[in-house]
Amino acid sequence: MSEAPVLKTALSISGASCQGCVKKIRNALEPLTGDPVLVEVDLDKQTVALPENVEVAEAAKIVTDIGYPAEPVTAPEEKTAGGCASKEKDFGDKGADLPGHEEPADDAQAKAPASSDGDQVHLSVTGATCASCVNTIEKALLSVPGVSQAHMNLADNTATATGASDTARLIQAIESAGYGASEIEDEDAADDRKQEQDKKQYKALLVKMAISLGLGIILMIWGMGFGSMTVTGENQITWLNLGILTLGVMIATGGHFYAGAWKAFKHHNANMDTLIALGTGTAWFYSMVVVSIPEALPEMARHVYFEASAMIIGLINLGQALELRAKGKTSEAVRRLLDLRAKTARVIRNGDEQDIPVEDVQKGDRIRVRPGEKLPVDGVIVEGSTRIDESMLTGEPMPVNKTDGDEVSAGTLNTHGSVIYEATRVGSETALAQIIKLVKKAQGSKPAIGRLADKISSVFVPSVMLIAVVSALIWYNVGPEPAVVHMMVAATTVLIIACPCALGLATPMSVMVGVGKAAEYGVLIRQGDALQTAGKIDLVILDKTGTITEGHPAVTRVHPLDNNEDKLLALAAGLEQHSEHPLAEAIVAKARHEGIAPDSVTGFEALNGKGVQGQANGQTLRLGNRRWLEAEGLSVDNLSDAAKGITDEAGTPLYLALGTELLGVIGVADAIKADSKAAIERLHGAGIKVMMVTGDIEATARAISGSAGIDDFRAEVLPEDKADVVNEMRDQGYTVAMVGDGINDAPALAASDVGFAIGTGTDVAIESASITLMRGSLHGVPDAIEISQATVTNIRQNLFGAFVYNTLGIPVAAGLLYPVWGVLMSPILAGAAMSLSSVTVVSNANRLRFFKTSQQPEQHKESN
Amino acid sequence: MATFLVNIGGVTLMAAIVWWFWLSGSNKNSTDDQHQH
Repeated sequence: MSEAPVLKTALSISGASCQGCVKKIRNALEPLTGDPVLVEVDLDKQTVALPENVEVAEAAKIVTDIGYPAEPVTAPEEKTAGGCASKEKDFGDKGADLPGHEEPADDAQAKAPASSDGDQVHLSVTGATCASCVNTIEKALLSVPGVSQAHMNLADNTATATGASDTARLIQAIESAGYGASEIEDEDAADDRKQEQDKKQYKALLVKMAISLGLGIILMIWGMGFGSMTVTGENQITWLNLGILTLGVMIATGGHFYAGAWKAFKHHNANMDTLIALGTGTAWFYSMVVVSIPEALPEMARHVYFEASAMIIGLINLGQALELRAKGKTSEAVRRLLDLRAKTARVIRNGDEQDIPVEDVQKGDRIRVRPGEKLPVDGVIVEGSTRIDESMLTGEPMPVNKTDGDEVSAGTLNTHGSVIYEATRVGSETALAQIIKLVKKAQGSKPAIGRLADKISSVFVPSVMLIAVVSALIWYNVGPEPAVVHMMVAATTVLIIACPCALGLATPMSVMVGVGKAAEYGVLIRQGDALQTAGKIDLVILDKTGTITEGHPAVTRVHPLDNNEDKLLALAAGLEQHSEHPLAEAIVAKARHEGIAPDSVTGFEALNGKGVQGQANGQTLRLGNRRWLEAEGLSVDNLSDAAKGITDEAGTPLYLALGTELLGVIGVADAIKADSKAAIERLHGAGIKVMMVTGDIEATARAISGSAGIDDFRAEVLPEDKADVVNEMRDQGYTVAMVGDGINDAPALAASDVGFAIGTGTDVAIESASITLMRGSLHGVPDAIEISQATVTNIRQNLFGAFVYNTLGIPVAAGLLYPVWGVLMSPILAGAAMSLSSVTVVSNANRLRFFKTSQQPEQHKESN
Repeated sequence: MATFLVNIGGVTLMAAIVWWFWLSGSNKNSTDDQHQH
């Protein structure tokens, strides 16, 4: 052992997933190494280590030829033979701690194209039919070097691989696992192509169904009415011909099942195709034995089951066709979003207005939008003002006023005036494109409950095969005559009824509909896990500014001593227009909103911690706090009641005085959003506690929480301490949702069980949260919780249905009812039941499409 | 004799299923735990 040759990581491979693959690779390389022990296959890193003297290019060719795409590694890592830290049992582990042992994978990754870690590749997958296929495909993707996460979505037949990996190798890995794959580059084209493919597949399945069911029904009617399904000397040749005809029909209409089963078998996997192939194959093979050598069987066992094979394939094809149709409806939410996009844009270039395809719009282009038109890209209004209906993006039913300098989004509808705006984000950068991407991603993600189903289904099919053999043996040994017939019927029926296709569809179908439904309400769910957790929330922690409140100060009260509000506002605005302070902006905005022209004020001066002053009408005009004005010799006692009203609403009173005359007080506050209180009431109604964290002083926090109906608050919390509050409440056993909009909320959003970012907030907050509320409204929180609960309930129903179906179906198929009622289920009935189970799951998921939250936004205007 | 052969055949088939799908199969190299969505 001390003279063990040095092995170097020589090849980077893909598709090797098991000990069978390891042996195959070792044996294939034996001619080069002279001993299979001198080939080390690391399944985790997907690398092969070989002795130094081996010709690497030749080794790569051999390994590729046997089905594992291989490439030489440029900077090999040395190891000692027998010192591999791989999972191989028959190798020691003494080399496990070799320095730099992790590097081979890096080598492999270094060869991958320049894609950073975390990059995602989206693939369209064909041939996947059930939960077992999902497992196989995910494993195949994870086996590609550089892939850190892999996810297959059976509901829309797409797979996503995350990590630095080469797309071609991902496709190769899926193909060598027995499925088809292609990269999704252009989402639109992929959608169109998929729709087209689905249509074709639907038609093809119906044709196949008609042929196989046709033959099955004719044979069945023949057997029941006109002839007999029993083979005799006279009809032997006829049955032989019919057997060959049945085989032809089975291959023509169910060939995809047999091909799928064979591919899975080669990779030590078993899936839905395996069960169908074995079930129908057993029935046909048994029948052919009867036809070929009837004398080998007792007379009462000379019954043929060609009709069963044909009808099972026909029924399953019918089930798949129905399933395909129902699946199409679930992606309606995304399609609706896609439909929001305008096809053309009226661009003003060199003074000329021209309609061009939206794809040709460049950043900086000026675009004219007339009333009733959809906005083609994101931008900023540069001319005119209008009202924009943003309900399709935010769920907010009221059109929003937009004027010079306001941002507008692609997909929204111009309802009022004609405006010109400058394009700032085009193509895939627009908010709408990002939303579509986000929804699609979330629709493809899988909550924990779904992963459990996947784990179960990976061992399910081989277990069913064992059950089929056991029940066959029981029937053969202790069953009544003709035992051989009963044995074959029981085994076939068990194999056919136990298909896990319903199990595979249960979670993704509901997630797809649930995420789409949430999008309709302006709630963007980014992860499947958030969808599941949101339903369990019992404490919602709200940030104050921008979340409960509008996020910017506004004038809440104007209280003149001489009842002349306009005069007070004109003077205050005249003074404040020289300032850039947020409080000043609020006063100027109020004056503008009221149509009041600011008075002329000169000699502006800002006094830190006091207020501002200037000259108006030859006198000193002061606007500031009470302490300052009193220090200047002015009494503000006349306004103390008004000032108290302002502070009670968490506002700041600003006193205005001209010379020695006190004119009035203006209250400026960050107002509570109009619907915050109602949203909080909805949360209370659902039994959820609501808490507020803010950096404001206690008095302000108390006033806000009192007005908004919040149960508890924490004031003077530093931004970095918000996450501590979240963790503290989680430690107390709460499932905590954090709702925030600012960069300072990001750690708390990430620390919470479910983070809700207000969509109008910062990108950092949105990135840190698992759910984004496109509307600024807090109603999104109860909406998300209600949709989440409905979706999880739907998933549970689906999983329960699929499990119950299999738990009851298998014993019945095995003949459990026979001793009691003398009933043995027909394989044809099993085929129908199996198809029905998938259709039921898909239909139940579709039920979610009609779900409505307790407070429903106005229906989106479909007319646009 | 036929009974014996059928039973032996059945047991062998079960052993083959266990061997192919579990012992030498991909389940051994379970990657379920690597799933992080």
